[in-house]
Amino acid sequence: MNGYQGRLLTVDLTTGRIETLPLDLALLRRYLGGSALSAALLYPRLTRGLDPLGPENPLLLLNGPLSGTAGPSVGRFTVCAKSPATGLWAESNCGGFFGPELRFAGYDGLLITGKAPSPVYLWIHHDHVEIRPAHHLWGQADTYLTQEKIRAEVGEKLARVLCIGMGGESLIPYSLLLCDHGRVAGRTGMGAVMGSKHLKAVAVRGAPGERKIPVAREAEFNRLRSAANLELRNSTTATVFREMGSANGSEYFDFMGEMPKRYFTSGVFAGAERVSGAVMTETILTGVSTCHACVIACGRKVTLPGEAEGKGPEYETIVGFGPQLLVDDLAAITRLGRLCDAYGLDTISMSNVIGLAYLLYSEGKVTAAKAGGPLEWGDPGGAERLIHLTLRREGLGEILAQGARALGRHCRAEEEAVQVNNLEVAYHDPRASSGMALVYATSPRGACHNQSDYFMVDLWKDTNYANGELQDPRAGAEKAANVALHQDWRTVHNALVQCFFASVPLATTLSLVNAATGFDYSLDELREVGERAWNLKRAINNRLGLTRANDTLPKALLTPYAEGGSAGLVPDFPAMLSAYYAARGWDEATGRPTRATLLRLGLGDVADDIWRMD
Amino acid sequence: MATPFPSDVWIKALKDRLNNSAAYAEAAKNWEGDLYFQVDYADRAPALLYVDLWHGQCRDAYAVTGTETAQKVAFRLIATMENFIKVLKSELDPIQAMVTGKIRVQGNMVMMMKNIPAVLEFVRTARQIETEFLV
Repeated sequence: MNGYQGRLLTVDLTTGRIETLPLDLALLRRYLGGSALSAALLYPRLTRGLDPLGPENPLLLLNGPLSGTAGPSVGRFTVCAKSPATGLWAESNCGGFFGPELRFAGYDGLLITGKAPSPVYLWIHHDHVEIRPAHHLWGQADTYLTQEKIRAEVGEKLARVLCIGMGGESLIPYSLLLCDHGRVAGRTGMGAVMGSKHLKAVAVRGAPGERKIPVAREAEFNRLRSAANLELRNSTTATVFREMGSANGSEYFDFMGEMPKRYFTSGVFAGAERVSGAVMTETILTGVSTCHACVIACGRKVTLPGEAEGKGPEYETIVGFGPQLLVDDLAAITRLGRLCDAYGLDTISMSNVIGLAYLLYSEGKVTAAKAGGPLEWGDPGGAERLIHLTLRREGLGEILAQGARALGRHCRAEEEAVQVNNLEVAYHDPRASSGMALVYATSPRGACHNQSDYFMVDLWKDTNYANGELQDPRAGAEKAANVALHQDWRTVHNALVQCFFASVPLATTLSLVNAATGFDYSLDELREVGERAWNLKRAINNRLGLTRANDTLPKALLTPYAEGGSAGLVPDFPAMLSAYYAARGWDEATGRPTRATLLRLGLGDVADDIWRMD
Repeated sequence: MATPFPSDVWIKALKDRLNNSAAYAEAAKNWEGDLYFQVDYADRAPALLYVDLWHGQCRDAYAVTGTETAQKVAFRLIATMENFIKVLKSELDPIQAMVTGKIRVQGNMVMMMKNIPAVLEFVRTARQIETEFLV
């Protein structure tokens, strides 16, 4: 099957049954792969009564049609389920080498159901699939040691291991999956879902000599991907990502007032200029790392004084443990990021929860006694202490482990928690990039910058996926249709699964997909794959209870900064949301896609489902 | 009276404006490095404009004549005359121009990214010059 291995591996951990499930070509054409295809495959299973931490919650790891090829930055895979954080649709994607290796083993994806009676890991060695005991790994090893131990046990140095940390074992709803050199599926608590199944890790190694993905027109595909990679490697965007990592734009985002500080309450922090990607490059950077066949190499390797070389922080980790806590110590931020990785905790959510704790402490709503000590702005020591408390669910840690909204509620200050649908907001501020207001409010997985990185349109001026139009970064309702368009295209990327850092012209992406799959889409048909999946995820969430009332922004993001590059500005959110609904073809009263919208996208059965609910 | 671009008189006018701009002095207080603007044409040799920028001041500025050899500089910004016109007429955002490769940047991108406010203020100052474009 061109572009696909044509089958999923399915493992029921309750019964131990291991099978393969063929993939339907017509379904692939409608959804491509990644989180789009996952939504179609999981739709029947994701019901309102489903316990996200129960054995019935399906955990689906899925590649796209380009994964494992040498196409531009296409080595990612997605992880989808019902989220223990939000109770809604969950998806998170991850780089590294695990996804391509799963394809080299002969599977497009892996569907895990059930719950093992005791901790296990999976070992997939081409056609040989084995469920192995993992008692010795449970509660002991950090995520990097876990990988090492499993590789040693299976006797394959090149086995790729995707694992949870103790955060996932403890069912923390913002725990993650990690593989390789610290590549993570960080958001929506997929680590907890895997932990709830007593599944510590999945190790995979394809057979030698079969490390090739079948494509429809091989010579054409190879010519296209060579040209695309050359263009990408020489682009300004790739250059700055390679030289400075994902925090390359720190100074710019700081200047424009797009980088939040002091837990979203300040637009200025002089120390921000000491913790940027550029400063990392000039001070502690000792190497770079890359995902499968990627020419960008945005991964950071840094060496702190007296320590071995290890992973350097990404933009979100830097801002979350840096300016959001008024910390200007890059080494301390690096260590906090590594601690989260070792424990298997998402740095965005963890740092957001900690930022709220610092804010509440400054307001006298959290005491030093509860927090195990003071939480003074600028002191990274308090953050480290809270991470340990969270992992152990000790004292205040039991509340922190439930997320920002729970902490706010506990302190009678829920409105101060910066989250949407119980997913903590990432660090691109809609007060400087108004498009992000709609992105956060309407993302199917809660506040998320990876369903659409519209700040790259508003500030980085990358209009490749937004109709070629440049609008004022602070524009209002007139931007809504462009945001929807950008979300559609980013949903295509999340289907492929292609890294957002690879800014490849749409025409090139289209040619690559067509040469690989033979689907021969038009450009609009390819976009429609994204729109269809976006609406399907919305319908899943509607079935899970989501309404228009869920499309909100937290109070902080609608409160203007007094200083900084975006001082005095807030997005005109109500008008933007109404315009967005009109652009999407969604019903204002219920928050559901209209029947007409769903029928236009070929989702008549879904329309019957969600409009039968009243 | 409009000042012709690219020309020695234009780049010297820019030097004067930069050195009289408090906003540029503040935005570029950390900038260290000289640069060439290389204006590419379809039918003739490129034009080169040199500026030496140092901590918010412009220390030197001149148009390179045909007999001079270009020196080693910290940055070289290369674009067609058409794209320089668009940037100076505010029809093309300078960030977008760099991101899309309409202006190609050769040099230390770390320095460039640390000083984007300086770049934006530089362009804002250049746009204030009443310019006649020598196409």
